Amino acid sequence: MASLLQPDRVLYLVHGEKKIRSSLSTLYFCRYCSELRSLECVSHEVDSHYCPSCLENMPSAEAKLKKNRCANCFDCPCCMHTLSTRATNIPAPLPDDPSKTAMKKAYYLACGFCRWTSRDVGMADKSVASGGWQEPDNPHTQRINKLIEYYQQLAQREKLERDRKKLARRRPYMPLAFSQHTIHVVEKYGLGTRLQRQRPGAPITSLAGLSLKEGEDQKEINIEPAQALDEVEPLPEDYYTRPINLPEVTSLRQRLLQPDFQPAGASQLHPKHKHLLIKRSLRCRKCEHNLSKPEFNPTSINISSECQVLLTLTNPVESITHVTLVGCEEGDPEDINSTAKVMVPTKELVLAGKDAAADYDELAEPQDFQDDPDVVAFRKSNKIGFFIKVVPQREEDGDVTVSFKIRHDFRNLAAPIRPSEEDDAPTEAIWLTHHVELSLGPLVA
Amino acid sequence: CSKRRSSGRIHANIAAGAVVCVESEIRGDVTIGPRTVVHPKARIIAEAGPIIIGEGNLIEEQALIINSYPENIMPDTEGVEPKTMTIGINNVFEVGCVSQALKIGDNNVIESKADLGKNVILTSGCIVGACCQVNTCEVIPENTVIYGSNCMRRVQTERPQPQTLQLDFLMKILPNYHHMKKTVKGTSTPVRN
Repeated sequence: MASLLQPDRVLYLVHGEKKIRSSLSTLYFCRYCSELRSLECVSHEVDSHYCPSCLENMPSAEAKLKKNRCANCFDCPCCMHTLSTRATNIPAPLPDDPSKTAMKKAYYLACGFCRWTSRDVGMADKSVASGGWQEPDNPHTQRINKLIEYYQQLAQREKLERDRKKLARRRPYMPLAFSQHTIHVVEKYGLGTRLQRQRPGAPITSLAGLSLKEGEDQKEINIEPAQALDEVEPLPEDYYTRPINLPEVTSLRQRLLQPDFQPAGASQLHPKHKHLLIKRSLRCRKCEHNLSKPEFNPTSINISSECQVLLTLTNPVESITHVTLVGCEEGDPEDINSTAKVMVPTKELVLAGKDAAADYDELAEPQDFQDDPDVVAFRKSNKIGFFIKVVPQREEDGDVTVSFKIRHDFRNLAAPIRPSEEDDAPTEAIWLTHHVELSLGPLVA
Repeated sequence: CSKRRSSGRIHANIAAGAVVCVESEIRGDVTIGPRTVVHPKARIIAEAGPIIIGEGNLIEEQALIINSYPENIMPDTEGVEPKTMTIGINNVFEVGCVSQALKIGDNNVIESKADLGKNVILTSGCIVGACCQVNTCEVIPENTVIYGSNCMRRVQTERPQPQTLQLDFLMKILPNYHHMKKTVKGTSTPVRN
């Protein structure tokens, strides 16, 4: 509750690298160190990427390819809200008969917050609801890609030279460790992923990197140096006298969110794909155990672990009854409806007899049954509450059903006393077995 | 006899075709055009002068349209000319908004909990965003959108669509659940005490 009301009234002191005082709702507890941890004493690691509007989880490799952007969702270039797709009916000529017009659906993007629409920048309505929207191409992409390749190659060459120098000093049978410096050089131009890629015929071990990979063609990538121009486009003549159309001028934030184009006019603001967010996992710095690991897909959480169910048994007869529960075996012909496994208590349960006067008798002796607290939750006159463990087997939409057998003893007091030669045998108890099916309700998603 | 106030009418002049719920509060000299829907708990108060509302407007719950006295003038001062508040056609006053603007054009949308001051004049196609307070002394140009906590502005290329579907639906459904105020046909003579 500290997060809702007066969060700073109660503060806990965390002994970490720094002494931090904060409320309990912002702290974590490491079970292995048995200590409180705050956000500053744990290491944050990226766990997975997801889109904040469509909640789609993306594996990290795919996220890197798509530049950490969602494929389906767009951001408003004006207010950075999420864009929604709207449909209108427009009359369009039928493909068969150009003279007749039929109503066709046309889709456009609109922002619910600032009322920006894709029509404002001249983007035509699309005929498909999703997937039709393209971001405009950056005219400099080719040059940038070429530059990146060139520098990656340069970095690799530098790394090889350093490794060669290092290896020359070491004995040949000692494994070559990546020095911190080489890693830094490699990471400088984003070569990280390329190193992990398996090139055919050349395994990425440091020793093999010495022989200059003759099996593979080291393409010499030449780039043209950037050329400095002498002439610059002159400013238009009315640059100083033209009145400013303020709504058309983009703000710095709007401009910098589109680093490719950085348009100065609002009519060139195109929507960009939505940025992905990360789920982070927290790791205790002292014991390296995970403190908090996010769920991969929160919309599909099943009860895959077992859960306890409390059942109540009431004894209607006035004598003590012994009850044993047995789970159904595999291939039991009566067990057709169960969708979950059940683990019933193995011990026998004893129920006291029904005693109508017991409710009114305050001085009655408490019943002395040795109850296992793991099995028996409570006991009240002729009632008993006990636990069973349920493990759902399938994640289906129907109810969770378990079945088991109850075996109990029964004395038929109403039967006529058989005249027999046995002397005064008390009524025999017979053991009855019933097949019970219990419907526990739907699985909570 | 008691001295009559300068605002003559006591009953609102509701044109035929308008749907005004009985639970709405309409005080003073108010004229409501046809096809206008006034929800219950909406308040239209003509204190300092008459209010004339055009047709096709949608005034939602807890909206307050008030023609109030300017702050530095006492209600009983003589010689104060009553100013008429004019509201055009096809406007939408969303839930909880407050409008004191004396002149509102057509096709405007005043979103929930927006607050328009006395000196603002809305032209056409303007959208005042939710919770935005506009109390400057200016004429808002056409097709302006005011949005955000800082009341940022931008111009949109098309004006907001009139809410014809919504109006038709409400005109059918509201009378099923609420009593309506009586409509008056044509001009009515002011009621004298």
